[in-house]
Amino acid sequence: MLKKLVGFVFVLSLGFLFSCKDKNKDGDQADFNKSALLENVSGNIILPALNSFDHEVSGLKSSFMDFKNNPTNANLDIVKSNWKAAYLTWQTVKIFDFGPVRSIGFKNATGTYPVDTAKIQTNISNGGYNLAAVNNLDAIGFNALDYLLYNYDALNRFQNETAYLSYTEEVIEKLYSETQSVVNAWVNYESVFNKSTGTSSTSAFSEFVNEFNRDYELAKTAKVGIPIGKANLGLVKPEYVEARYSGISFELLIESIKRLKAVYNGNSFANNTSGVGFSNYLVHLEKVGLDDVINDKFDLIIADAEAFTVTLEEAINNPSMMNQLDELYLHLQQQVVNIKTDMTSAFGVLITYQDNDGD
Amino acid sequence: MLLFSSVRFILKGWVETQYIEPKFFFGFLGFEWVKPLEGNLMYIPFIIMVVAALFIVLGLFYRVSTLLFFVCFTYVELLDKSNYLNHYYFLSLMSFLMMWIPAHRDFSIDAKLFPKIRRTETAAWHIGILKFQLAVVYIFAGIAKINSDWLFEAQPLKIWLQAHHNVPFIGGLLQEEITAYFFSWMGCLYDLFIVFFLLNKRTRPFAYLAVIFFHVVTWLLFPIGVFPWVMIFSTTLFFSVKFHQTMLNGLKKVFRWTATVPNLVRKHTGSQKLVRFALLTYIALQIIIPLRFVLYPGNLFWNEEGFRFSWRVMLMHKEGHATFYVTDKATGRTIEIDNTDYLTVRQEDQMMTQPDMILQFAKYLKQEFDGKTFSNKEQSITLHDPAVHAEVFVSLNGRPSQKFIDKKHDLTALPYNLKHRDWIEPFEK
Repeated sequence: MLKKLVGFVFVLSLGFLFSCKDKNKDGDQADFNKSALLENVSGNIILPALNSFDHEVSGLKSSFMDFKNNPTNANLDIVKSNWKAAYLTWQTVKIFDFGPVRSIGFKNATGTYPVDTAKIQTNISNGGYNLAAVNNLDAIGFNALDYLLYNYDALNRFQNETAYLSYTEEVIEKLYSETQSVVNAWVNYESVFNKSTGTSSTSAFSEFVNEFNRDYELAKTAKVGIPIGKANLGLVKPEYVEARYSGISFELLIESIKRLKAVYNGNSFANNTSGVGFSNYLVHLEKVGLDDVINDKFDLIIADAEAFTVTLEEAINNPSMMNQLDELYLHLQQQVVNIKTDMTSAFGVLITYQDNDGD
Repeated sequence: MLLFSSVRFILKGWVETQYIEPKFFFGFLGFEWVKPLEGNLMYIPFIIMVVAALFIVLGLFYRVSTLLFFVCFTYVELLDKSNYLNHYYFLSLMSFLMMWIPAHRDFSIDAKLFPKIRRTETAAWHIGILKFQLAVVYIFAGIAKINSDWLFEAQPLKIWLQAHHNVPFIGGLLQEEITAYFFSWMGCLYDLFIVFFLLNKRTRPFAYLAVIFFHVVTWLLFPIGVFPWVMIFSTTLFFSVKFHQTMLNGLKKVFRWTATVPNLVRKHTGSQKLVRFALLTYIALQIIIPLRFVLYPGNLFWNEEGFRFSWRVMLMHKEGHATFYVTDKATGRTIEIDNTDYLTVRQEDQMMTQPDMILQFAKYLKQEFDGKTFSNKEQSITLHDPAVHAEVFVSLNGRPSQKFIDKKHDLTALPYNLKHRDWIEPFEK
């Protein structure tokens, strides 16, 4: 009886092996390799973006030195344009909140908003502040600079208040030195990243997938959802608008979504030439339909955002534009299911950090 | 094993992340009164478990230790559904059974302290019930695998295995469809029949090799924690008495254990009936509970009614996304909830695909938001008895995601019980 059973199992599995062999030949597919994806993302997106960011932040710093020596409106404009260039590149850098970026808390230190202008004012008036302190996260970074450079009284204060000037200088200096350390650390981290293809939640591939999703959701919630009142019974919150003083919030949103789309497709940072990305992985897993849905939705969101000709704050304060904003938000929301549920589950990447028995 | 598991739990910082950090706990139906201890006090049950487990190994105050271990372990497990794992349930049951089994009657410190309790033999049911428990785990896990996704689509293994395609040497193989089918069928057959091979004396050595091989492979490929090791060690129960005696005698020599046993054979027949009754009840429950799913209509994996406590291990890959909306009934205005404000990553991940947890979370949100005031510069609205809706999408075993819960249901008005939940959207293949 037992022998029979063993024999039966053996024959069954053998027969099975062969029956599948044929089946596999039909749908012949080149093997996909996650290392190729990681190499492309680090080599053609992350490092070039970091280098560009480094260059722009250095430009911001040196132009501010020029402005300090010669505080004219024209020189302030140069500072502003360098700030904006760096802030736009930040939309790519912030996607990769793992490894060296995570280890020094770079994303929070650089991209937190809304800023607490009262806190900034207190810091300037009282002095003795520590910009590295956690409670100063909303008094530093790009949005602190947005306020410091763009508020209506900025030029006057730069010309007449040393404390205002040196506070701004310190915020820029912090951004500059942290950028340096991230860029330097990535040189060594690149090979670690490229090799870490596993499925555990700590592998670089999993972190990358998870952070990609998190950054997308953050863009959806913080750039649009919260300001238009999604967490506040629909009562709008213009004070939560990103880059409120410069009014470039839509530009930042569009850049952020475009860059997420480029990363999804594995397109290079420099000139958007195509490479290996999540898109290719999905196609390899025979999910062409999902890949199309994701790309179409990205395009729809970009078109929605580009249709606005006013600033986000103006749109929010204009009740007749509420429907248009809701539509934008709806499309942003719909994409979450595509990338967070369908894409992530197809990759077999874990979101949780603990044992799991698949139930 | 128990000792290792408790220490691992503390070392990994899971006490903190799972029982101290969360603001909200998904209690089990009927056990919602089980609440966590304040802050760091939550470490106490874990420390007790470590000590109790150590005492069990040493055979010191065995009865008390097993009782303490069972109580603490089960208490911790009952706190939050999102931490439910089949192997924790298994450990809970095993420690429950151990409470009743006098495993301290020889070669233990208890036996040194209280020589009267020493025995060389034990009743057959003592080991029999443990074997039965193991058999239940395997066989039900095997039966659960007999479904079309598992056998004919090789899902979820297809997803899980391809993700390992960068493993050296065998990576390419893991990406082949055929490997997933092979693993699926082998896993199913293994679970269904391994117990019989272990029971048979002739096949036992091969069967045990298979046990080791199977569990080591699963340990390498999947993040299932201590489960493989628990099973590898537990299945030694199937070995002959002689094998265990030899092992024990070896250990006894190491510890210079005196081999003399006082011949005190007392027969107590009075409790026999009671024991038999208790055993039968336990056995019946263990068979009925995993089978309760037949009482529910619809797809089991989709609805998850009668899914827990049924040894359904590594069976499905479910990924979801749930958006909750708290609505003011008076103005129709809505708040979209950021789940991570209230739940840990793990809780959110578990909740999004399990209807009972979705309902629990909705009811919790209602409590949280009732009476809260929201405002901006122009106006201010206070919520009274808000409605909670959810829009949930779930992807099962690599299928495109489908709507799981429709936004039309006010979840606060729905009952939380064991009845079939007809508010779950039907599963479409």
